[in-house]
Amino acid sequence: MAVEIIVMVKQVPDSQEVVIDPVTMNLNRSMTRNVTNRADENALEAALSIKDKIGANVTVISMGPPQAETTMIECLARGADRAILVSDRFFGGADTYPTGLTLAATISKIGKYDIIIAGEESSDSSTGHVGPGVAEFLDIDQITYASNVDYEDGYVIGERELEDGTEVVKVPTPVLVTVLLNSNDPRRQTLRRKIDAIRKGFEVWNIEKVGLPPEWVGVRGSPTIVRRMRSIKEKERAGKKYDLTNLGELVKELYEKKVLKMEEE
Amino acid sequence: MAGIINATPVADPQQYKNVFVFLETREDKLLRPALEMIGVGKTIANKVNEKLYCIILGSDLKDMADEAVSYGCDVVLGAESPDLKTFRTMPYSHIVSNFVKSEKPNIFLIPATRNGRDLASRIAVSCQAGVTADCTEIDIETDTRILLANRPTYGESMLAEILCKRHRPQMATARPGIFPIPEKLKSPKGEIRINKVKIDKSLLKKEILEFRKKEAIDLTAAKVIVAGGMGLGKPEGFKMLGDLSNEIGGVIGATRPTADMGWITRDHQVGQTGQTVRPRFYLAAGISGKIQHIMGMKNSETILSINNDPQAEIFKYSDYVIVDDVYKVVPALLEEIRKYKKEHVGIAVENRESS
Repeated sequence: MAVEIIVMVKQVPDSQEVVIDPVTMNLNRSMTRNVTNRADENALEAALSIKDKIGANVTVISMGPPQAETTMIECLARGADRAILVSDRFFGGADTYPTGLTLAATISKIGKYDIIIAGEESSDSSTGHVGPGVAEFLDIDQITYASNVDYEDGYVIGERELEDGTEVVKVPTPVLVTVLLNSNDPRRQTLRRKIDAIRKGFEVWNIEKVGLPPEWVGVRGSPTIVRRMRSIKEKERAGKKYDLTNLGELVKELYEKKVLKMEEE
Repeated sequence: MAGIINATPVADPQQYKNVFVFLETREDKLLRPALEMIGVGKTIANKVNEKLYCIILGSDLKDMADEAVSYGCDVVLGAESPDLKTFRTMPYSHIVSNFVKSEKPNIFLIPATRNGRDLASRIAVSCQAGVTADCTEIDIETDTRILLANRPTYGESMLAEILCKRHRPQMATARPGIFPIPEKLKSPKGEIRINKVKIDKSLLKKEILEFRKKEAIDLTAAKVIVAGGMGLGKPEGFKMLGDLSNEIGGVIGATRPTADMGWITRDHQVGQTGQTVRPRFYLAAGISGKIQHIMGMKNSETILSINNDPQAEIFKYSDYVIVDDVYKVVPALLEEIRKYKKEHVGIAVENRESS
């Protein structure tokens, strides 16, 4: 039986052109171009590499508004076999808890899975909590922050990049993996595949299909709330100008103000 | 097993007391972010007259428990087993969840390191808690005991204050390098509760085949950092910065593009994908000041920037500004520093002897 891989992706606002609504302090999504979260492209590529090697089935799932269809088509055009957009107004405003719950319920509905792969975090929320949250809901092991993922005879071997080194781990499936941004080179969509993808289409699952009560998901199912947003106030700095003619004065000032010390301890 | 369950609010937040922190370790030693957690956790606990509990897992906890107490921990909750020497998601999340469920903390802080986030996400689900990721400011509302978890968002331009009103514990992960390490106490007092535990085999399926340690330079502990950016134009620029850095007892920092170019190794990288630093003196040479770099160094006490572009963004974050070619300024600065030190070396020795 073929190995079943599920890839979790998210459509995010292009980080280059983020617009904040000055009244609600929320992201103004209507004015921002949407793209596939880049680390999720690496997640899909990791799945497709395993598919190249052993012939797996790759299903892409995403929770998001209807405009995430472009991401679904894009994933199919890169080589995914099936794409499911989990979309319903009830899912809106979710923090990481109901997002993980909704994705885990979707995966349970899909049924069989050996490997679940996601990007390390989304560029718009940057929590990295959803992937491991899904693993906890499904009660399976996880390999987070992987720079390399391989599959061999029922095991996933992953290299985790930690602050002080690289940890190589081996875990029997089923397992959830989160992969690092830029950890591989995502294959391009071909025109041919894109045409096929549009023809084949993707599935849209609403809340009834996912099978969760409305009060468990979206904003109602979220433990956290954003109370307020404020601009990060920067420390006022003088920006005192010096040039090649008075560096001696600068050095004197640095030592006298004990910014520099004659001997560092 | 968590199963598919919703986030049910707790019936009575009053039953939840005290501040928990998770102390991250390697080879049965506390890591620097662990000490940072003790600092911020203790500050929060003191504000509401509650106790600071530190959770430590490992194979030999005695020294780590004593160290935690010496920094201000009131109660150490330890789980000890040879199987816990190295972090693994399944046994760690299982044990930590059980501590949380039995002790019912009001607040639980975990470092926003990679293993910390790996763990925090799972605990939040299994305990049906709200968690705020990667906080840079953490405070508590004293009358309600609501945690005020602040995290940067939208490319670090805004700070979002996130609350968790009806779920307990209130969880947050705290960005490493932001919260200061507390002073050691003169006469520390703390209760140490270490349980020897046996881990169920089903939780130990992950096999760690290898750990390749990076010879990492700890920029977060540096008092003086001399950093270079693409404005250096070539790898040799870092040699020039090295001479200056040696003269003033510093270490070398770098922007991500210079590391991407291979001019310098990754462990020198400061910024969003590198280390977050707060030295006494940060010298930025040939650094334009992209937000990803700024967020890693803007809390430095004093910042001096050298760039030939008068419009360079970095100047907005600088106490001292020199608009000129780094290859002219750095050698001249080095010469002035040597001159100053030569003139003042005798005086420095005198001052030290008299103090």
